[in-house]
Amino acid sequence: VIARHDAADFGGYHAAMSHLSDYLKPILLRLGSMSLAITLLTVLALASVIGTVLLQNQDQTDYLQQFGPIWYWVFRSLGLFDMYHTWWFMSLLGFLMLSLSVCLYRNIPRFLKEMRSSKVALSDSAMKHMKHVQHWDMKGQNAETVLEVAKNRLKEWGIRQETRGDIHYIRADKGSKHKWGYIFVHSAMLIILIGGWMSVQFGFRGNMSVPVGGKESEISFLKGTSTEYMKMPFEVRANDFSIDFYPNGMPKEFKSNLTIIDNGKEVLTSDIIVNEPLYYKGVRIYQASFGDGGSNIHMKLLKLDGSSDVENVQAKVYTTFKDEKTGVSLEMTDFRPHNVENMAEAGQAKDFQDLGASVDFVLRGPGLKPVKIRSFIEPFVLNDENRGSFMQVSFSGDTGDFKSMPLGLDLTNPKEWEMLQRFIAHLGDADLSNPQKANMQAFKAAMHDVFGDERPENFQAMAMRVLQAVQVIPRLPWPYIPVLDDYDQKYYTGLQLTTDPGMNVVWIGSALLVIGLCIMLYVSHRKLWLVVRQKDNQLNISFVGLSNRNPLNFKREFNEILIAINEDMQKLKQGETL
Amino acid sequence: MTAAESNGLWQSLYQGRTAFVRYWAYIGLMLGAVGLALFGGDGYTENGYIFQLVGQDGLMWLGTGALLAAGLAIGVSVLRPEIVNGHIPKMMVSWFDGGALMLVLMGLLTILEPSGAMVSYEDQTNLFAGHVIMTMNVLFLFSGICYIAYLFAPESFIGSMATATAWGGLYAGGSSLLLRWYESYLFMDGEIGHAPVSNIYEVFILLFCIVTIIYLQWEKRYEAKAMGAFVMGLVAAGVFFAIWLESVGQAEIKPLVPALQSYWMKIHVPLNFVGYGAFAVACGAGMAYLTRMWLEARGSKMVAVFPSLEALDQLAYKSVAVGFPAFTLATILGAAWAAEAWGGYWSWDPKETWALIVWLVYGAYLHVRISHGWHGKTLAWWTVIAFLVTVFCFLGVNMYLAGLHSYGRLS
Repeated sequence: VIARHDAADFGGYHAAMSHLSDYLKPILLRLGSMSLAITLLTVLALASVIGTVLLQNQDQTDYLQQFGPIWYWVFRSLGLFDMYHTWWFMSLLGFLMLSLSVCLYRNIPRFLKEMRSSKVALSDSAMKHMKHVQHWDMKGQNAETVLEVAKNRLKEWGIRQETRGDIHYIRADKGSKHKWGYIFVHSAMLIILIGGWMSVQFGFRGNMSVPVGGKESEISFLKGTSTEYMKMPFEVRANDFSIDFYPNGMPKEFKSNLTIIDNGKEVLTSDIIVNEPLYYKGVRIYQASFGDGGSNIHMKLLKLDGSSDVENVQAKVYTTFKDEKTGVSLEMTDFRPHNVENMAEAGQAKDFQDLGASVDFVLRGPGLKPVKIRSFIEPFVLNDENRGSFMQVSFSGDTGDFKSMPLGLDLTNPKEWEMLQRFIAHLGDADLSNPQKANMQAFKAAMHDVFGDERPENFQAMAMRVLQAVQVIPRLPWPYIPVLDDYDQKYYTGLQLTTDPGMNVVWIGSALLVIGLCIMLYVSHRKLWLVVRQKDNQLNISFVGLSNRNPLNFKREFNEILIAINEDMQKLKQGETL
Repeated sequence: MTAAESNGLWQSLYQGRTAFVRYWAYIGLMLGAVGLALFGGDGYTENGYIFQLVGQDGLMWLGTGALLAAGLAIGVSVLRPEIVNGHIPKMMVSWFDGGALMLVLMGLLTILEPSGAMVSYEDQTNLFAGHVIMTMNVLFLFSGICYIAYLFAPESFIGSMATATAWGGLYAGGSSLLLRWYESYLFMDGEIGHAPVSNIYEVFILLFCIVTIIYLQWEKRYEAKAMGAFVMGLVAAGVFFAIWLESVGQAEIKPLVPALQSYWMKIHVPLNFVGYGAFAVACGAGMAYLTRMWLEARGSKMVAVFPSLEALDQLAYKSVAVGFPAFTLATILGAAWAAEAWGGYWSWDPKETWALIVWLVYGAYLHVRISHGWHGKTLAWWTVIAFLVTVFCFLGVNMYLAGLHSYGRLS
């Protein structure tokens, strides 16, 4: 089938390119050939698959870890980590554009010519090859009347008539403009690719993070494997950033209030949310992400050296606090004002509860295993029962590996911390031959030390917590327990800034593509011929149909028209008027 | 009443003045809905509109629109009787009828909805749509089995049963989706209400309905009932997957993440699934083609049940011809949405890239068919394999690859 088609094609483009030098001809032929186009599309599809399986634009160290040095080097030199912007991928697209252009150049004149000129007459040999043919003879009518009857039935068709000798031809066409479909679809793809090239060449797309209250005028973006920066013709100030939550803790809306400052003047202040960007000087500003913009963190360090001292520490997220005495450092990595979790058991109705604010930090020190800790400001309360403070600990440093670590004590209550310290001190003095009695005595002494003769509210529950904490806290390897105490939260808003001069070209191409496809797939070129041959006293009539598409429907249509014409003829015979 | 008479009565519903007046009544109904959105009550609010539609305001606006248009149509048809023939797209009337029936079904089902106190976001087990979806599951499964049985017993009533249950499942599915839309407004003060096309479970129901409706059109027009064993077989297989999804808690109504809160979702997602659904039907036709070839080679008598190879080949092509422009438009609209939400119409995100691959695969299918005149066995295989690529695009990408479309993920 292909061979036949190609042979037919060659005839077409020899005519169109006769003025081109013989040297260029074979190259152009090859470029415009169908097999090259299909090969290109296949290679493009396969290459695209690589880019979806291999995560793009990740951290280089992650790649190195994942693939090892050799494969990392191989993949990197092929540009597979930013595959869609490599020279070879671009050249593939370039080749596709070239192939499309040649194909259009070659075929448009041919299509236009075919649409303009089509023969009315139908030779007998052509008729033999048609699928839908009906012959019948008729007596006692003249050809003119028959032709009129048929024309009357084919009113909605484009009709042309010709007479050659004693043979009359009527040709009726529907959907003869369907070749525009091919032209539209192929030029549309070319236009979309040109638009895409314009976007890449003349547009930009980058991110900026603006802390609330701060200003920024530079965007950063990845080019290959390195990050590049670009100055914007204006500054963006973030006045505010807020998140609305659904009751189950899922974010409902991210909103930034931004002011554009151009040449030192405030020109525009507006809210942006996801799906509703801001537009200024040809640049669109999108709400893309958010994060902690360096919140102020106030922490308590509860000393574990038996002194019951509490040290107050001020730090900011993204900074490191280092305790000179012990050499232990806390690197603040993140802060979250809310931690909504489903507290229900599996299979029960959901129960969402906000565990309150938390800070993430990495604790490092001499002789200590580095560990990531999430410390919560509130104690854990379940069913109105205070179960004491807790933290989440991850030894891998990955937040996905966080394990809950209950501390037993409610550390927001300084009295409780004091109780624990006194209790441990008295335990040391106690006679350990009778542990139960020793516990009891030590606890009583500690109560006396902290509260005198008074009994605090809920002291039973507190006693439980202290007894639990004594199992946990003295075993901690750290010189102190860092606990989140207070905070002054500050977000940064993550913006994406883009200009895209190719976008409208792409939309034009897209519209053309859809229109072209609809013409191509839904408009079928249907041709009917009525051939009336006068032979002596008799008319030989042939009714012939041809459709390039949708043969099932055409068969039905052909038969309907045939029956209708036949009925009209019968009526004529009986002398009725139409 | 004989079968022929009832058939005649049925047909007369879709001819002449009856169809003409009904067509314009539907148009009036839709204009009424638009009028309600623009001018009715306190103006259009996404949250309130669905309740306005099913409430008194809706009855007034939609009813007035429909009555006015129907009255006008009757008037015109009396003055110029010849106008009733050939001036309306007849097919649209039956589509409108189907849509209206689904809406009415959904309206009736809302009566069975438990009182507000019995449903909450945390406990959605009392919502009624789940039962309707289960009905759909059962009907589609039964239909799939009947279609397969039909291949072995073409003369028996099993064939009509297969078709009837497929229609039943379609209406159950359609009205359950509408009901689910309504239900999403029932808790959290209507804050999280959204069209039921936001997660993999909901779009599966949509997919079943689209596959079924396309297939039933082909069955009605081209007497291709043997193809049903393959198409509805695919749907039945999908039903098992949907039941599994429900069992792992994917069926819950969840709030929309900010990126999905856009009117684009209501257009982009359903249109995409018209594409996927049509490709599934094409795959069914391809499988039927290959099966018939195999049966012919063995000289089996069952061949007589199948449509001709040529017809099956055409039906596969027709399905692709329905799906491809829809898929193209859906991808373009997706790009427009991406341009609005993410700042770029194309990001080479895995979902986008796989959509491009699917597009290239079916584009190549159309290319070799239209320009090179290929048909038959190769293209039948092509539709089957291309559908596997499609399945990976709408399921595999969400399951195995990360990216911007990750909200469709199984979690």
